[in-house]
Amino acid sequence: MLFTGLAHGMSEDLQKRSSNVRAELIFTRPGSIGLTSSSANLSTKYVELLQKIEGVESVTPVIRYFYPSGSFGVDQVEGVDWAGFSQMNNIRLIQGHAPTTPDEIVIDETKAARNHPVGSTLKVFGPNLYRVAGIYAPESGARVKMTLKALQDALEAPDKCTFIFVKVKNPSEQLIVAKRIDEAFPGNKIQPTRELFASIETSIPGLSVFMRVLVGLAAIVSALVVMLAMHTTITERTREIGILKAMGASRAYIIGEIEREALLISFLGLIVGFILAALAGFGIHKATGLIFQFGGWWALTAGLIGLIGGALGAFYPAARAANLDPVTALSYE
Amino acid sequence: MATILKADNLEKTYRVGKVDVPALRGVSLAVQEGEFVGIMGPSGCGKSTMLHLLGGLLTPTKGRIVIDGEDLTAATDAKRTDIRRRKIGFVFQRFNLFPTLTAEGNLRLAERIHGNGADDPDRRREILRMLRLQDKMHHKPLELSGGEQQRVALARAVVNRPALVLADEPTGNLDSENSEIVLKMFRELNNRFNQTIIMITHNPEAAAACQRIIQMRDGHIV
Repeated sequence: MLFTGLAHGMSEDLQKRSSNVRAELIFTRPGSIGLTSSSANLSTKYVELLQKIEGVESVTPVIRYFYPSGSFGVDQVEGVDWAGFSQMNNIRLIQGHAPTTPDEIVIDETKAARNHPVGSTLKVFGPNLYRVAGIYAPESGARVKMTLKALQDALEAPDKCTFIFVKVKNPSEQLIVAKRIDEAFPGNKIQPTRELFASIETSIPGLSVFMRVLVGLAAIVSALVVMLAMHTTITERTREIGILKAMGASRAYIIGEIEREALLISFLGLIVGFILAALAGFGIHKATGLIFQFGGWWALTAGLIGLIGGALGAFYPAARAANLDPVTALSYE
Repeated sequence: MATILKADNLEKTYRVGKVDVPALRGVSLAVQEGEFVGIMGPSGCGKSTMLHLLGGLLTPTKGRIVIDGEDLTAATDAKRTDIRRRKIGFVFQRFNLFPTLTAEGNLRLAERIHGNGADDPDRRREILRMLRLQDKMHHKPLELSGGEQQRVALARAVVNRPALVLADEPTGNLDSENSEIVLKMFRELNNRFNQTIIMITHNPEAAAACQRIIQMRDGHIV
């Protein structure tokens, strides 16, 4: 639950932030944007050139940089031309002002909620501290944004960006405009943002397979744990099983009793597991900012896997107990 | 009186490694309804083996056992379990109560295993009263003395009205005072409910409570 909750939470969060982008097209160099990496290899000269393409309403360059976060994993920061970026994507400042100097940043409300009010300083990447100049909403892309120039200078990539957002005059003609851009600037990559952000989860290679493998492993581990627990329990209670058999308990009765106990243990384990996963998810979110999503579907799946795994895991010890020789079991010390 | 148990030419041989060890060498026995029979004999003479055979916990190498009209030796394992459930109650030397259940819980478990809506509070109360355990119903085995535990075990054995109670040295773990109490209960069960009882014992005083004594030696009835 914890791992799948984190994976879902993070991908949902990424998707939610990406979906707030109002630009219809994204123009970039092939391979310059990855899930956890990017490169500033696109010249900002394209901004002027793209603006001249028929059907284009506005364009704004963005430089995106991934850096190791303080806790674990990676975090990202974007350098934007605030006026153009905020106007294109309907982003407004709810506190403070836009970044103007190289040491100023704006952050979204989620980041601000982690004790980063306007005026506070924040370590983003490198040794420098950045001052929170403003808080913006809705959240979009990287939670931390600075001026395009500041990030270009910091990355020693003058006049470069990672991608350029393109807003078209008529959204229904975005593919036609994309074709025009492609023809005008071959060798680059033009892609509708709706495709790029349609499903972060499906676009991450192997994520769904990874999740299934994780769930499968959880099922196997839960079955093995229950099997071991029931095996130990039954070994300890061999004599009691002998008494049950002497009292006339049938094989089905003994298997039924052990399965009931296993299901009860599994159910209690699920409850405890859900509570611990929720607490761990909350703790991880507080400590690192990673998003944990406690999905109903996954909870149901985990519940079923836990119960079925528990029942299957208990079956072998139960069948073994039911087949014990009663006289041997009664003399067990 | 009807014959409740009939055993013909019972033989039981254990295989220990490559050696055959005969435990019973042709034992025949008939017990009438309402009899209280004691089986005595030295250690290793085959008493416990015979009790386990009569209770359907073991199958004989040869011979036939009929309990209350049902052939135990011809029955499958499942059928033997069923006969045991309906017709036999066991009392063991070591009490063998479930430690996590109360005295009443142990009786209810026996009723549940017996099935057929056997939950009979009146019968339970009557048995517990007769065994002077009515104020111990909610006590767990560890809160009871040895004698009280054995009386609970006895109550559990008879709560479903079995045709036959098989007791394996029921006073073996008790002091003389508690032994006397338990034996008195056996007699009372036998007299009041006409309960058929077969009891293995080493103790001559316990054997004296029985109506008939069977002596065994080297796998034979002597």
